[in-house]
Amino acid sequence: MSYDRCVRCGSCLKICPIFDAMGEEQYSPRGKTYLLQIMDQIEQDPEAAKEFRRLLFMCTMCGRCKETCSSDVDLLAIWHEQRGKSIREHPDEFAYLKPLQEALENVQNIYGLDPEDRAMFWLDELEDEIPGLADKVYEPGKKAEVMVFIGCLMSFRSSQLDVLRALLTTLWKSGTDYLVMGAEEFCCGHPLYLIGNDEGAIELRKHNKAVIEDAGAKKVITCCPGCLIQLKQYHDLGDIEALHHTQFFDMMYDELPTYKAEKPFAYHDPCELHRILEIKKEPRSLMDKMHVDYRDIEPTCCGGGGLLRITDPNLSDIIIQMRAASQHLKDTTVLTCCPSCREQLLSNELKTRDIIELVSEIIEEVGE
Amino acid sequence: MKIRDYVIGANASMYYRLNFKKIKGVYYPKSEQELIDIVKIAREKGYGVTPKGGGSGLSGACTGGDRERIMVSSLRMNRVLTISKDQKYVDVQPGATPDEINAMLEPMGMKFWVAPSSRDIATVGGILSTDGGGNDTWRNGTMRDNTLRVRMVLYDGSILTVDWSGVKCENKKIEKALNSKGMTVHDVAGSHGTLGFITEIRVRINPIPKHTLSGGVAHYDDLNELGDVLAKMINEKCSIWYGEAIAEAHPDVRGDMKPPLLILEVPEENTCDLKGITGYKPISKEKLQQYKDTRIKLPKRNPNEGMQVALFEGYGFHGTSLRKMQDCVNEINDLLRSHDLEPFAKYGHGPSKWYLGDNSPAYGIVLHSREIRPPEKSGPEVFEAVKDIVALCKKLGVTPKPEHKWPFSDEVKNARLSEIRQALGEGFNEFLLDSKCYDVLASMV
Ligand SMILES: Cc1cc2nc3c(=O)[nH]c(=O)nc-3n(C[C@H](O)[C@H](O)[C@H](O)COP(=O)(O)OP(=O)(O)OC[C@H]3O[C@@H](n4cnc5c(N)ncnc54)[C@H](O)[C@@H]3O)c2cc1C
Repeated sequence: MSYDRCVRCGSCLKICPIFDAMGEEQYSPRGKTYLLQIMDQIEQDPEAAKEFRRLLFMCTMCGRCKETCSSDVDLLAIWHEQRGKSIREHPDEFAYLKPLQEALENVQNIYGLDPEDRAMFWLDELEDEIPGLADKVYEPGKKAEVMVFIGCLMSFRSSQLDVLRALLTTLWKSGTDYLVMGAEEFCCGHPLYLIGNDEGAIELRKHNKAVIEDAGAKKVITCCPGCLIQLKQYHDLGDIEALHHTQFFDMMYDELPTYKAEKPFAYHDPCELHRILEIKKEPRSLMDKMHVDYRDIEPTCCGGGGLLRITDPNLSDIIIQMRAASQHLKDTTVLTCCPSCREQLLSNELKTRDIIELVSEIIEEVGE
Repeated sequence: MKIRDYVIGANASMYYRLNFKKIKGVYYPKSEQELIDIVKIAREKGYGVTPKGGGSGLSGACTGGDRERIMVSSLRMNRVLTISKDQKYVDVQPGATPDEINAMLEPMGMKFWVAPSSRDIATVGGILSTDGGGNDTWRNGTMRDNTLRVRMVLYDGSILTVDWSGVKCENKKIEKALNSKGMTVHDVAGSHGTLGFITEIRVRINPIPKHTLSGGVAHYDDLNELGDVLAKMINEKCSIWYGEAIAEAHPDVRGDMKPPLLILEVPEENTCDLKGITGYKPISKEKLQQYKDTRIKLPKRNPNEGMQVALFEGYGFHGTSLRKMQDCVNEINDLLRSHDLEPFAKYGHGPSKWYLGDNSPAYGIVLHSREIRPPEKSGPEVFEAVKDIVALCKKLGVTPKPEHKWPFSDEVKNARLSEIRQALGEGFNEFLLDSKCYDVLASMV
C-alpha cells in the first residue's frame, strides 16, 4: 500500500489548509496516513475507526500534500481510495451524500433539477444579448468544431451567469464554431470521483462522450477544472482535445488590448487547475496579454474543493476566511478561473472575476 | 478513545507503534497559561507529561514511551512574539519553525540561522530539545549556540527562565537548587523534553549578508579521503556557508551524482583557499540547486522496491574516526547487513559541529543514514541492530546520533539530566531515562 511509503517526516502538515484551520494532527495528511499505518490498532476501537472515516471527508483534495511529498506517496490516490472504501463499507455513516448520488443517477446533475433546465435557465437570460444563441444548443445532427461543456455549477447557479455571459460572448465575437450540450450534458462525474465512487461515473461519462463525438467536435472546452479533470483523464475522448477555457483563448489570441483597472488584482490559482492538471501558464499568459496588473497569492486552497462545501461547510468557510485574512483579499478583486472557487469567494463576500470576464469586456470595448 | 489520542503518535522515527491506552489526554495549548492548567491536570492525576513539537525527531523521544502520560503538542504555540532587529533577537513560542520565523525576518534583511533539513516542520522547542543543527552549523553553531534564553513550565507549574548565566524561577527553592548546580542553556539543549515544557525561546538573529556565494562540488575516491579533507577544513577553519556530503546513495535516488562527494557553497573571496584543500570544482547555480534539492529530499525518498527506514539516523565522525571514515562505514554497513538491513543512503552536514554529553564541542561530519527495511523482520528484531550499532559507535569513537538525537546511551548527559530533575521535578518524559527504555523502544518499532 502506498501509504506505507510515508516516512512521516511532517512536511505536509503546515501546508495543508485543513491542518492550518484546525491545528490538530488528525486533520493533517501525515496524521491520516499515520492512522492508516496503524489501522490494525484503530480498527479495534470502532468509535475511533468511525471518526477516522469522517476525517477522510475533511479534506479539500487540493493535492498540496501530494505535491510536497518527497517520498512519492500519491496522497490524492489514497484519499480517493479510502473515501470510496468508507462509503462502500459504512453507507449509513454517509447518508448525507445519498441525495447527491441519487440526483446524479436520476437527473444527472448535482442539484437534482430537471435536466431540461440545464440550458433553459441561462438561455432565457442571454438569448437577447448573444445573437443566435438558441441555435447553439446541441441536438442530434448538429455539428461544431468546439463543444462547450458548461458543467453543473455554471448551468444552474445564477452567481455564475456573468462568467457564462462572458464566455459565450467571447465565443460569439471570436466567430468560434461551437455548440453547448444543453439538456444532453450530464454531470462529468467529478463529484462521484471525489467520493471514490468510480462505478457511478461510468454511465455519465459514456453519455457525454457519445454526444461530443456525435457533434463531430475536435475540441471540448470547459471553465471548470473539475470537469476538465474528468474530460481529460476519464472520458476516453481519443483525439478530441479537452481544454480549459483559459487554454483555448490563450491559443486563440496572440495579443489583446490592455485591460485598464483602477486597482491591481490578486490571482488565485484553482488547485485542480494548477496543481492537478498543471495548467499554470495559460491563465497568466492571458492576463499578461491584457497587461493585467495582478499579484500571485500563496497557492493554497480556497476551501471549496473535495466536496468540503457539502461534507463540512463550516470548515470550508473557515478556510476561505483564513485565506482572505492571510492574503489580504478583503479590498482586492480576486481573479480566478474556476466556478467552484468563484462560489467560495462570493459566498464569503469577496470580490471576484473570472479571467474570461476581462477578456470579454476588453473585446466588447474594442468592438464598440 | 478519540482519534486525536492515537494520531499524536505520528512521528518520523521508526518508533511509532505506541501502546495508546497509556495516553491519558492530548492537548494543544495556545498559551503558557493554558499549558500551566494542563500540567496541573497531569500532576493531580499523577500522569507524566510528554512534550511534542513537529514530531520530526528520529529517536522516538516525543512518543513518551509507555508511561501513563498526557501528550502536549506545541503546534498551536507558533507565534513570533517580539522582534528586535537592533538587539538581534526574536522571542518565539516553541512551536514556530525556522521557516515560519524566517518568513517574518527575511523582509527585514534578518535571519535565524539554524537550518535543519526539516526546517519546514521541526519546531524551535524540538530543535533546542535535540540541539539540532543544519548544513550551516559549522558556521552558525547548533541550536544552543543560537539560544539566548529559554522559558519553561515545570511539573510543579512554576515558570523557569534559563539563560547562559543561570536560572530564575518562581519557586525560589528550585531556583536556588538549580543555580547551585550551575544550570544553563547547555542543560536544556538536548534534554528531550525531560525537564519541562519550553514555552518561549529567545533566539539570536543576524543580518543576511550581501556577498555573493559560489557553489562547487568535490569528488573523492573513498570516505577516508573525504574525511581527511573535512579534517583539513576544520583545522583551517574554512569559511563554508553550506557543506553537505553524500557518502553513498542507492542508484534509485542519487540521480547523476557520483558519491562520495562534497557539495559546498562559499563566499566568492574564499574559493581559492578552499580549492587547494578540497579540490572542489565550481558548478552553475542551477546545478548547485539541483544537488541541494536531491540532498534535502534524500531522507524522505524510498527505493523503487521496498521501503526505507531511519534505523539509526546519524553518526558523528570526528577525530580519528573522521580520518578513518571509510573503514568505520564499512564496519557499520557489515553490521547492518548482518541484520538484513541494506544500506540505502548516507549523507550529511560536513564540516559540522555538535556537542558531546559533557557540553564540549566536537567537529567533524554528521552523517545521516537510511536503510532498506527487511519486510519479514519484526520490530524487536530490527531494534537489535540499533543496540549493536550503539555498541559499535562506542568502539569506533563515533558519536551516536550526534545532533543529540540518541539520548538513551549518553551516560554523561543522562546523569546530568537526572541531577537536574531531582531539583525541578521528574514528571516530564520519564521513560527516556529509565534503564528499561530499550525494551520500550523495541516494542514501538
Ligand atoms: C526529513 C528529516 C530531516 C531532518 N534533518 C535534520 C537536520 O538537518 N538536523 C537536525 O538536527 N535534525 C534533523 N532532523 C531531525 C529532527 O527534525 C530534529 O530532531 C528536530 O529538532 C525535532 O524537532 P521537532 O519539533 O520535530 O521535535 P519532536 O520530534 O516533536 O520532539 C523532539 C524532542 O523534543 C521534545 N520537545 C519538543 N517540543 C518541546 C517543548 N516545547 N518543550 C520541551 N521539549 C520539547 C520532545 O519531547 C522530544 O523529546 C530531520 C528529521 C527529518 C524527518
